[in-house]
Amino acid sequence: MRKLFVAIAVALISSRGQAQGALSLQGLGYPTGELSARAEGTGGGLADFDALSLVSPASIAGVGSPALFFQYSPEFRRVTAGSNTAKTTTARFPLVVGVLPMGQQWALGLSSSTFLDRSSETSLVRTLLVGPDLVDVTERNKVLGAINDVRLALAWAPSPVFRIGVGGHVFTGSNRITFSQLFPDSSKYVSTTQTGRLSFAGFAGSLGLEYRPSSVIGFALSGRKGGDLRAQSGDTAIGSARLPDHYAASVVYDGITGATISARVAHDAWSSLSTLSSSGTKAFDGWDTGVGAEVTGPRLINRIIVVRAGARIRTLPFGFNGEKVSEKSFVAGLGIPLTRDRASFDFAVQRANRTTSAAVKETGYILSFGLRVSP
Amino acid sequence: MRLSSFLLRSFATAALFIAVSSCSENLDSSGVCAVLCPPIGGDVQNLTLDATTVELDTTVNALSGLGTEPSLLLASRGDTLDTRVIIRFDSLPTTFVPVSTGTSESITSVDSAYIQLRVDTLSIKGGGPYTIEAYDVDTTANDTSSAAVLALFRPDRFISSQLLAREDLKDTVRYYISNAAVLAKIQSGVRFRVGLRLTSPLSSQIRIASAERGFPPILFFRATPDTTTHPLQVIPLSKTPTGDPIVAGHLTDYTVIAKGPPEAPPTLLAVGGLPPRRVYIRFDIPASIVDSTTVVRATLLLNQISNPALDPTETVFILPQLVLAGKVVSDPAKAAQIVADISSDTLKVRPGDEGPTSVEMARAFAIWRTQKPDTLPRAIILKTLDEGDSPLEIRFSSSDDVIAALRPRLRISYTSRVPLRVP
Repeated sequence: MRKLFVAIAVALISSRGQAQGALSLQGLGYPTGELSARAEGTGGGLADFDALSLVSPASIAGVGSPALFFQYSPEFRRVTAGSNTAKTTTARFPLVVGVLPMGQQWALGLSSSTFLDRSSETSLVRTLLVGPDLVDVTERNKVLGAINDVRLALAWAPSPVFRIGVGGHVFTGSNRITFSQLFPDSSKYVSTTQTGRLSFAGFAGSLGLEYRPSSVIGFALSGRKGGDLRAQSGDTAIGSARLPDHYAASVVYDGITGATISARVAHDAWSSLSTLSSSGTKAFDGWDTGVGAEVTGPRLINRIIVVRAGARIRTLPFGFNGEKVSEKSFVAGLGIPLTRDRASFDFAVQRANRTTSAAVKETGYILSFGLRVSP
Repeated sequence: MRLSSFLLRSFATAALFIAVSSCSENLDSSGVCAVLCPPIGGDVQNLTLDATTVELDTTVNALSGLGTEPSLLLASRGDTLDTRVIIRFDSLPTTFVPVSTGTSESITSVDSAYIQLRVDTLSIKGGGPYTIEAYDVDTTANDTSSAAVLALFRPDRFISSQLLAREDLKDTVRYYISNAAVLAKIQSGVRFRVGLRLTSPLSSQIRIASAERGFPPILFFRATPDTTTHPLQVIPLSKTPTGDPIVAGHLTDYTVIAKGPPEAPPTLLAVGGLPPRRVYIRFDIPASIVDSTTVVRATLLLNQISNPALDPTETVFILPQLVLAGKVVSDPAKAAQIVADISSDTLKVRPGDEGPTSVEMARAFAIWRTQKPDTLPRAIILKTLDEGDSPLEIRFSSSDDVIAALRPRLRISYTSRVPLRVP
């Protein structure tokens, strides 16, 4: 009886779902968050104060010295649906940042970050009537690519108390799609392969403010106003939507010696992307809340290690079967200075649970390796 | 301090290992597809196009001329089939070099003359004994005239005969021929053209490899009784027709049909047989199907007519091929020679069977889609896999059949292109 119930549930779910093989890959894909490994290590709490994250253009004013930053973030994902399990490994390079201070008060930053990553591959066996015969046809769908956020930011810090920054964003990228229908007997049937490329282009502007009334506490506000995002298949426009508006507020507390405690709350109006969907995939506005701490840790080989920990909860943009998918993450991380502080290495490990009301569970371990160099 | 260093190095090593191991992506989440991956492609549409789709179906000759067959058929099948084999040795040696003297001498004697035949032992019919008679079939008549050659299988042209038991028919058979006949041809400086005829108390058939297959019959003889001198060997050669070396090459050895199996009525389609024939079928397929859909399966539905005349239970393999000849080649017989493979699979039928059968031809659509009908007519041919080698003929109802359901039809299964969009 229980097996029958599961079978019926699975059939109902599959009849309406999306062929992307994971809760986090619905719609246009998974939002990486555009956070550096340091900000990720604090659950996103430090993101608005972190010059290497892409959320607040004001933060680059605090970079101190010219910096190049590169981040690698593989994700090891496990999706469970009933008795079925899929394990995947996704290699992402979600962040490249260059920041250049100009004098004491100004800073210019150029950065690129993965906004929505849709890389996935699925295979489904269907039984179809071909001529007089019932044939098992394997449908293989592979999607590679992402929408990226390229930002040029300018920040001004007239005093240590106040910083302001503006950013211009270009959202660009593509999804390369390969869809194959594979038939079993090549002497009778011809398997088919269809390829396509969806290109995206859009613009947005962002503004960030940072205010530190004292040496122990700071506040930040940031926002990004989305413009149009157009999607094309080859030369043909296939739809457009508004890039989601994003607003965030953060607080950081340095009142404990050797420790920085931070918290952040952000809102993303992801629903503005719904109009881009061809199959009615629903996108949900959602909150992204994180809290974390960065603590001066042990000294190893004459280097002071920074230890970080945090937690984060957010709503993913695209729902599954019309329902929200939420993600809860616990993060830990390290920061290690290298070569007399002219470089640093940041590491974060994140365990993310993604759930919805459907009988599907997803767990992802995201490891982030960030290397900052000050040339 | 040492512990700190160890921890840092261990961490760095672990991080490096994880980073490297994660470089090889594995995006495949098919394990949960039962839940998370509903179908993307639509259902397959099945459509049977009736006989009006067949614009032209006809039977045409298969080969481009006499002697192009890959094997020589020596058959004595009672009233049904009688075929002879002609081998031309238009150039015979007149001198040889004995080992004893080392100098060239004229041939004055012939000993142990035989023609080496490569026999397809799997295709032998009849239990024997087999008598193979040799005749002198040299004539000045038209080279391609079968009647003129057949008329020379008469007593005054008889050369010799050899009786062979079934167990004598191995891969290589020595057919001994009159030494005197060979010597006479050498000394008179004329060509030696041999006609072979098979007789047997039972319905019999022997298939011999031809020059077209790379294993021509070869004439061997000794010009001296001294066995230390190697025997001379003569490769078949035809000096006629002069000025046409290609046809002459085909005529070095060939099969001539004294009596062929009864031809199929003109209202039927016939594949195979002797002389071999092909079926040419040209379709009028809506462009909307060829151009705008992806055909995943296409089946030519045929109705087989029983042909019990010869080996009705023997399997015949039929191969569909794509006609490459453009519309400018209006003669189906010529167009049927310009073809390309579309399938490695064959249709297996038996001449005596009857009823519906089908030929798979989906790959033709993939090629048709790339060219306009003027450049690449929507036409295929059907041929037997052992075309020219086997006398067996398969027959099908044509579009002239009075019963519409028995005429050739085309069943097509296709999918439409999936719009690859944002999900």
